[in-house]
Amino acid sequence: MRIHSVAEITGYLRELLEADDLLADIWVSGEVSSLSQSAAGHLYFTLKDGNSQLRCVLFNRARLPITIENGMAVVAHGRISIYEATGALQLYVDTVQPEGMGLLYLEFERLKAKLEGEGLFAPERKREIPIFPRRIGIATSPDGAVLHDIINIITRRYPLAELVLCPTPVQGEGAVPGIVRAFDSLNTVDDIDVVILARGGGSMEDLQAFNQEAVARAVCGSRAPVISGVGHETDFTIADFVADLRAPTPSAAAELAVPSRDELMAQLAAFGRGLSSMLSGMLDRLRQQVDDTANRTASHLDSVVGKYKERLLMQELALDSLNPLATLGRGYALVQHAGNGEVVSSIAQVERGDAIDIKVSDGQFGGRVSGAKKGLQAWMQGFPSNKR
Amino acid sequence: MDAGLPFEQALERLEQISQALGQGGLKLEEAIALYEEGIGLVKTCQQRLNAAELKISQLNTPADEETEGEEEAP
Repeated sequence: MRIHSVAEITGYLRELLEADDLLADIWVSGEVSSLSQSAAGHLYFTLKDGNSQLRCVLFNRARLPITIENGMAVVAHGRISIYEATGALQLYVDTVQPEGMGLLYLEFERLKAKLEGEGLFAPERKREIPIFPRRIGIATSPDGAVLHDIINIITRRYPLAELVLCPTPVQGEGAVPGIVRAFDSLNTVDDIDVVILARGGGSMEDLQAFNQEAVARAVCGSRAPVISGVGHETDFTIADFVADLRAPTPSAAAELAVPSRDELMAQLAAFGRGLSSMLSGMLDRLRQQVDDTANRTASHLDSVVGKYKERLLMQELALDSLNPLATLGRGYALVQHAGNGEVVSSIAQVERGDAIDIKVSDGQFGGRVSGAKKGLQAWMQGFPSNKR
Repeated sequence: MDAGLPFEQALERLEQISQALGQGGLKLEEAIALYEEGIGLVKTCQQRLNAAELKISQLNTPADEETEGEEEAP
């Protein structure tokens, strides 16, 4: 026995209260009174019930689904602790719902708001489901039509896949730990591309495991993206909200997990046809090219030959003009020295009395040099064009 | 084609081949080689789809040994 300080006692009480599982997560119903709001926006109120009162504080008012007023009958969720500065025992409220809702609904809404607040439903968190999964994890009940349906659908649609079954109860007490363990086990398997979490239809109570926080967190923690297919089309569970893809039913989940063989076959056939037509198109174009090239070569050759012919003609004409015989035809004569055969183009080459040969267009005759005179002016004056 | 090529990669390769063939600018020998590879891929994929049998394995969860005691949520 000893004397304690106030702080020791309030601290001890706080630890005691916070160690209690029941007090850490409770719903309390009562009537709102003494409602006030602090400058910081926190709500303080009292829950009344006959002769009992419980002090309540709510820090995050923005998250409240309803507006509360004095006199309102509500159900508040939170944890009990002690505020050491005043020694007051309080309910630290995180959500409030109007009185009259069932507990399942209350829990569903509370967890949904909480996880949504953590961003677990955000679209950007959703992972893409691979189109061609190789290994598919399946977490569902080992007995029952659901597993059978899933296997049938995947066998029919995409037998290239490999199924890794992870049996778990999906209803009753063992369901939540079973599903959590199923995800733990699947997380240890390499190369699982997608996980299907499935359960057939049932009452809202039957589907409760899928509205539990532990299951929701297991789905979030899955290494592979998760497709949920729980209950009927109209059932939405918390697991559906956190899954990467929600399928309306277990069968739909199986269909969303794999591509369809029929569609793939059609696609492959289309590929085959496309490749053939592209190649034959290419061959046609090449044939055309060969034809075109042949035609072009031929016409090019024609024009080259034509040009050569033309040049040849020109050469012939040119040669013709140089042909001395042609010159002789126009009345000129070729004079050669009879002694040495030199062509006489200058008076210096001959002397009086030298014998010369003179060739004209149709023959030759001999002669002798009788005299020479330098200069041609006198002679050329005989041509009309040179007359000045 | 490599029989172990995953289906997805086979389809991707087919896409590439048909793009390359469609774009043109290939030599005839290259085009024929691509065409043969593509048709081979189509056939192998079709055969694999037709012949495949779903493989099923089961994970043994250590369910029963530790039913109690780990109820607390993460």
